[in-house]
Amino acid sequence: MVFAIQRPGMAKWLEKLLEGGEVIAPVRGPCGDVVFSTIRSPAQVIWDFGNPLHPPKRFVLPQTDPLVTIKRNGHRHEVEPIYDDARRILFNVRSCDVKGIAFLTRMHEMEPADASYLRRANRLTVISLACTTPCPPGFCVCTDSGPFLSDGYDIQLTDVGKSYLVEVGSEKGEAAISVVPSLFRKATESELLKRKKLETAARSHFGQETCHFASAMRRISTGRVQDSLWDKMSDWCLECGGCNLICPTCYCFSVKDLRRDGTWIRCRMWDSCQYAAFTLEASGHNPREHRKERMKRRFFHKVSAQYYTRDSTVGCVGCGRCIKVCLGTTDMPAVVAAIRKGKWHE
Amino acid sequence: MSTVPTTCPFCACGCGFYLLANKGELVGVAPSETHPVSLGRLCARGWGAHEAALWGDRLRQPLINRHGNLETASWVEALDDVTRRFRDLIAAGKSVGVLGSPRASNEENYLAGKLARAGFQTNNVDFCFHSICRPLFAGLEDVCGDYAPSISLNDIEASETILLIEGDLAQTHPRAAFSVMKAVEAGAHLVTIGYSRTQMARLSSLHLQTTPGNEGEVIDGLLAAVLRPGGGDRTSLAIPCEGYDALLRNVEAVKITEEMRQAADWIAHATRATFLMAPTSGYGDQTRNAAAALATLAAVTGHLDRPDSGLLPLLARSNVRGACDMGVAPDRLPGHQPLCDQRAQQRLQDLWGKKLPSTRGLEAESLLQSVSGLIVLADDPSAVLPMGGRALAALGKIEFLVVLDAFVTPPSRIAHAVLPIACFAETEGTLTNMEGRVQSLQVATQPPGEARPGWQVLAELCARFDAGVSYNSTTDVLREIAQAAPRYARMEQRASDDEWGGRWVKDPDRGKFKLYATGAAALTSAERPHVLVRDGAFDWGRDPLVSFSPTLSRDSQSQQKLFPNGFVEICKQDADGLGVPVGRQVKLTSVHGNAVVPIRLRADLKPGVLLVPYAFRDHVANVLGTDSVTAVKVEQA
Ligand code: SF4
Ligand code: SF4
Repeated sequence: MVFAIQRPGMAKWLEKLLEGGEVIAPVRGPCGDVVFSTIRSPAQVIWDFGNPLHPPKRFVLPQTDPLVTIKRNGHRHEVEPIYDDARRILFNVRSCDVKGIAFLTRMHEMEPADASYLRRANRLTVISLACTTPCPPGFCVCTDSGPFLSDGYDIQLTDVGKSYLVEVGSEKGEAAISVVPSLFRKATESELLKRKKLETAARSHFGQETCHFASAMRRISTGRVQDSLWDKMSDWCLECGGCNLICPTCYCFSVKDLRRDGTWIRCRMWDSCQYAAFTLEASGHNPREHRKERMKRRFFHKVSAQYYTRDSTVGCVGCGRCIKVCLGTTDMPAVVAAIRKGKWHE
Repeated sequence: MSTVPTTCPFCACGCGFYLLANKGELVGVAPSETHPVSLGRLCARGWGAHEAALWGDRLRQPLINRHGNLETASWVEALDDVTRRFRDLIAAGKSVGVLGSPRASNEENYLAGKLARAGFQTNNVDFCFHSICRPLFAGLEDVCGDYAPSISLNDIEASETILLIEGDLAQTHPRAAFSVMKAVEAGAHLVTIGYSRTQMARLSSLHLQTTPGNEGEVIDGLLAAVLRPGGGDRTSLAIPCEGYDALLRNVEAVKITEEMRQAADWIAHATRATFLMAPTSGYGDQTRNAAAALATLAAVTGHLDRPDSGLLPLLARSNVRGACDMGVAPDRLPGHQPLCDQRAQQRLQDLWGKKLPSTRGLEAESLLQSVSGLIVLADDPSAVLPMGGRALAALGKIEFLVVLDAFVTPPSRIAHAVLPIACFAETEGTLTNMEGRVQSLQVATQPPGEARPGWQVLAELCARFDAGVSYNSTTDVLREIAQAAPRYARMEQRASDDEWGGRWVKDPDRGKFKLYATGAAALTSAERPHVLVRDGAFDWGRDPLVSFSPTLSRDSQSQQKLFPNGFVEICKQDADGLGVPVGRQVKLTSVHGNAVVPIRLRADLKPGVLLVPYAFRDHVANVLGTDSVTAVKVEQA
């Protein structure tokens, strides 16, 4: 069933949600950036914002993620898992990010399932805000991850004027509205119609602009991308790793032990497949020594038919963050376009 | 979870980001779209900035040498010890000195300089990286009389022509490299000058390959092409400059290639141009001359008079500009004013209420080899100075060595007193980036153990040497800096120029240049036909901010492990000619001495050129001597 909540009811709902645990939402940060942050009052929540550059994936997969503690006990080592049991609500998440978290969860559910990740993800409620005005760099229509969602959320909100439409997509979503059921009513026909119109309008925002993943995918999957093209493109990457680190679907990591008061804490840390040292082996051998090989790998993983078949989606949610963060000029749309045309900067 | 805006501690581009902390520990970095330099972007170092502070081997407690061992002490004990020992040394007429650091804030560097000058009554104050960039600064000053008129990183993007004297910009200053890329993407002509085909060289419209140290000759060629009849648009020389006629005479005989003519044409006809120069290696005065030639080229083509053009020296470490501005130099006072400037001396004496020494002090390398007492602030001279490992041996001979650092470093292990200070994520202060933007550091987490903010420790030392006033905060220190350094005037009260609180240092006046002209000398001979060059200006792998970061240290650690004897890079033609297979060793002989090192092939070198990475300079120390480029004989070992 689709519900609705009157605009003024929103603060009350948020207050109730805050009583139940941590609520994280995009807020205006100290220097003007929009950042995901734990809120203390409903007044902090902003409703008109560009998607934060730093994605919410750290609430399921922190940049530094303590997994186990290792203690020495005589001649033995005792290993104890560290669980993050906090219940969190991600509020006002954009559609692409909802899809990003869903993607990560699918990856971490694959055998062997990742208990640490899943514990966090299972305790996370995702309340999204549909994008009635798509953000400038985004291309979510090409990746089927926005501007409106048909699944993947616990709750999807749509601003329909005097009220918000509340689409509940899961039990966690139901639980979230059940904290103050009185605030929610059945959505009216005109509200539902408004939502439809808004979605059509939002989609039309993208015009004919599409990312042409399909033709790039054909070329990548069949090895029809010239090596010289990778060569050229890789000179336009400065190997910052930003594309991976801010990507809602990237989850590469490395592991390192942190020493604290006589124990070791094994941490998983975000890593980037674009870093030369990511595949550097202890012998000094590096299977992907040259940047072009790493770049090729990144796009193969994200855009090839092989992975598309396995994951039933490209490894991209069209958020456009890599366009903003790339310290070179080799963001997703730019490279996909180059692959499709077989040309770079010509 | 806290989100604290701060400034990148690595390179001099001066990016900004948010440090993320959870329960008092750093957990990550988030980029910022509003930061005026970063605009959403960071390089790998910036993305990993939280790691060293978190994972590093940190100094937590003051240590003093008792009966030959470094033992923990209270702050009072340690400071008393340092005070007493330095007083004794000074009373005995022995020389002492202070080394500041581009890894430290302006406030820390300023207080380090004050401690030396007002406290110890000596101009023995410098920072190690100065040894690398001094010739570059000197060359620019020969022409501009001061820093060269600069350009902001963002404005580089709008340049029509960019002349880059390469170190390896993509590695040393990724953010600056990004601006250059953007300009090239928009159609700018990028001209690179260097001895290897670096990433930027591959993106260039024209790469002028030199032999190491001969960058100046190529620039002379560009000058000649601009100045000789039919060369460029000479009317761009708006104001009469000193030395113009001598310059004209000098370039008469210079050989101009077709490529030089093309590059000169692009420079002369651009309305907006950027000149970038890394601290290149060179023999004798080659680097200084190349820098002077570059500034001259920029001046005669009118670009130093245009607000949208400018020249930027590429300083590897974050606060090199700040350390210079704070007077951390044996011949400079705060504000980069010459030591011999009477008015500046007087103003400083009035401000500090003390008579100040007027004899020039020693530069870092000589300083640490000759003083009896030394304070080293946040630096490892053996990792930074060209003299490498020998610096550590010299430090070991100092009667009383004091190290202030956040991290365990080789000098901290051999010091007589160790004062643990906060790292960049745990203290307030400011850094001045290469553009002259003064930006803030903010406290994201507390320093570990008993470590204290460095500025507080230095202020306390100043007070103990009768050079103190009490400062309640870094703002108090900045207020004093604003009085000591005219270019920082009212810095602490000025409204910021951006949302991140950055404020500009006043750029030097444009318009009065002293043109420069020189000829080049041949380095190689029949006996020693090859040149060996120390490649690069800085080894990030030995900087604690990198070496303690699990993510950032991997490449350099792997190299150190794989090449315990270092290596030199050589082109295939030369290796074949010598009959030396890859991985095998060659014997290098120069006027200074010889060394045996393994070789690695490198495709983008000219025959006759051998490169030794800065990180491996110790392995050819005998061959290089005090040079950064030297002629060598190469043989099978
Ligand atoms: S964000 Fe751009 S520059 Fe950075 S690693 Fe990715 S592709 Fe390269
Ligand atoms: S370019 Fe320099 S200032 Fe910017 S993030 Fe990288 S190291 Fe830091």
